[in-house]
Amino acid sequence: MLCERCGKKEATFYYKENVNGTVKTYHLCGDCAAEMQKSGEIQTGFGEDPIAKMMNILSGDDFFGGDDLFGKLIGSPQKTAERGKSCPLCGGTFHDFVKTGKAGCPRCYETFEAELLPSIQRIHGRTAHNGQAPARFREENEKKQKIAGLETELKEAIRTENYEKAAEIRDTLRNLRNA
Amino acid sequence: MTNWYEIPGNENDVVVSSRVRLARNLADYPFEPRLTPEQAKEICEKLKTIYSDGWTYTDFSTLSPAEKRSYGEKHLVSPAFAGKKTPCALFARNSVYIMALEEDHLRIQSIYPGLALDEAWHDAAEADRLLDENANVAYTEKLGYLTHCPTNLGTGMRASVMLFLPAYTAARGIQSLAAQLSKIGLTIRGMYGEGSSAEGCLYQISNQITLGITEEETIRKLETVVKQIVEKERQLRERQDKEALADRASRTLGILLYARRMDSAELLGLYTTLRMGASMKLLEGVTVTMADRMLVESMPGTLTVAEGLEDDSAARDKTRADVIRRILKEQK
Ligand SMILES: [Zn+2]
Ligand SMILES: [Zn+2]
Repeated sequence: MLCERCGKKEATFYYKENVNGTVKTYHLCGDCAAEMQKSGEIQTGFGEDPIAKMMNILSGDDFFGGDDLFGKLIGSPQKTAERGKSCPLCGGTFHDFVKTGKAGCPRCYETFEAELLPSIQRIHGRTAHNGQAPARFREENEKKQKIAGLETELKEAIRTENYEKAAEIRDTLRNLRNA
Repeated sequence: MTNWYEIPGNENDVVVSSRVRLARNLADYPFEPRLTPEQAKEICEKLKTIYSDGWTYTDFSTLSPAEKRSYGEKHLVSPAFAGKKTPCALFARNSVYIMALEEDHLRIQSIYPGLALDEAWHDAAEADRLLDENANVAYTEKLGYLTHCPTNLGTGMRASVMLFLPAYTAARGIQSLAAQLSKIGLTIRGMYGEGSSAEGCLYQISNQITLGITEEETIRKLETVVKQIVEKERQLRERQDKEALADRASRTLGILLYARRMDSAELLGLYTTLRMGASMKLLEGVTVTMADRMLVESMPGTLTVAEGLEDDSAARDKTRADVIRRILKEQK
């Protein structure tokens, strides 16, 4: 059997992996196998050691970083109305994002949010985070909730003509907002 | 530091290990491919100050190929990280290994033997808190933690469990299990498929989505499913002919104890039978942990490093047989 990649040399290398029921097999010559291994298309570990190979697949990229799934999902960048737009932090364009399926920097998400959201929804089924947050965001959230609560109390104090209390709440609110 | 695979874990007749990985990035730097060497250095220096107290730092790019590989074989770093040639660093403390400058700026990983997702999550979250307190982590309220690849947005968390499923495999149940799992947002990986023999019978199950689901929900879902699979695997094992199994396992032990050369392909088959025998308590003095240690410690990178070998496979096969014998002779 000839190598299925170059079609020239004899295939001496057989590689098989299975992700979620999709089996991929390759019959390759030594050179093509080495090239694909180098580019990360196949993970063969140490030479062709079967245990190392298995461990690599198991430990594999459970982060799915290795495939360009996202690039495929976004499709061709023809609908990029604002072609000239580029990310202020890394200089990347939406075209770069589509080509690699990956962001150039964290700021890219803000820059291309409108273009990205439909594909993000297709991958995750959702578009809003619902998990832990860094402390600075948690504090921000707590502050917002506290302000909302005080505003309700303030209205109630004014309604019941408790002006002394209203003034007190107003001071607390001012301090909170300026903090 | 004791390696995870040297400690007996919960439900270890079926569950080999539990792992939680978090992808994290610093807000003011581009992702790895666009980093300048100076920026990469800056990030490393910053992380060195954050992960200093009680953490060990390793300049990963200075390690030999075999040493890097060994980290990968023990599942302490990802295969991609083990193969990296550009500067990268590894920080370690107890169960936690932090890969710096993999694809994301940080991949925080915690690994435990057996079923211990809560412990792994707890330790990874603690390391994450250190980062949060000392750096500007890339995050937005809408998309959560911002990651190089959009498939990891949200929690940036992958929780996974490695399972040993010889009875499931023999009953040809893995394909349908894979179909069921993908419907509920879980992924199974392994070397299986039509016509394949028992290639180790090890599988990794992990969560597929990260956006719109909390860390807690992710872990509970994975744990619930794993417990069901564990029960089913045990039931299937109970139905097997114990005497025939004991016979096969004992013969396997004989080969492992008396072989003078062992190649990796042969070991993989023997491992499955030995682990099955040990997990069903059919072999006196041989534990599941011994079987796992035997597998990990006889992998090429680890073997090369531990035994100071040249990269020569004939010598490796001889040394592998020696190492296996040494581990199995520890039986009382
Ligand atoms: Zn070829
Ligand atoms: Zn950018």
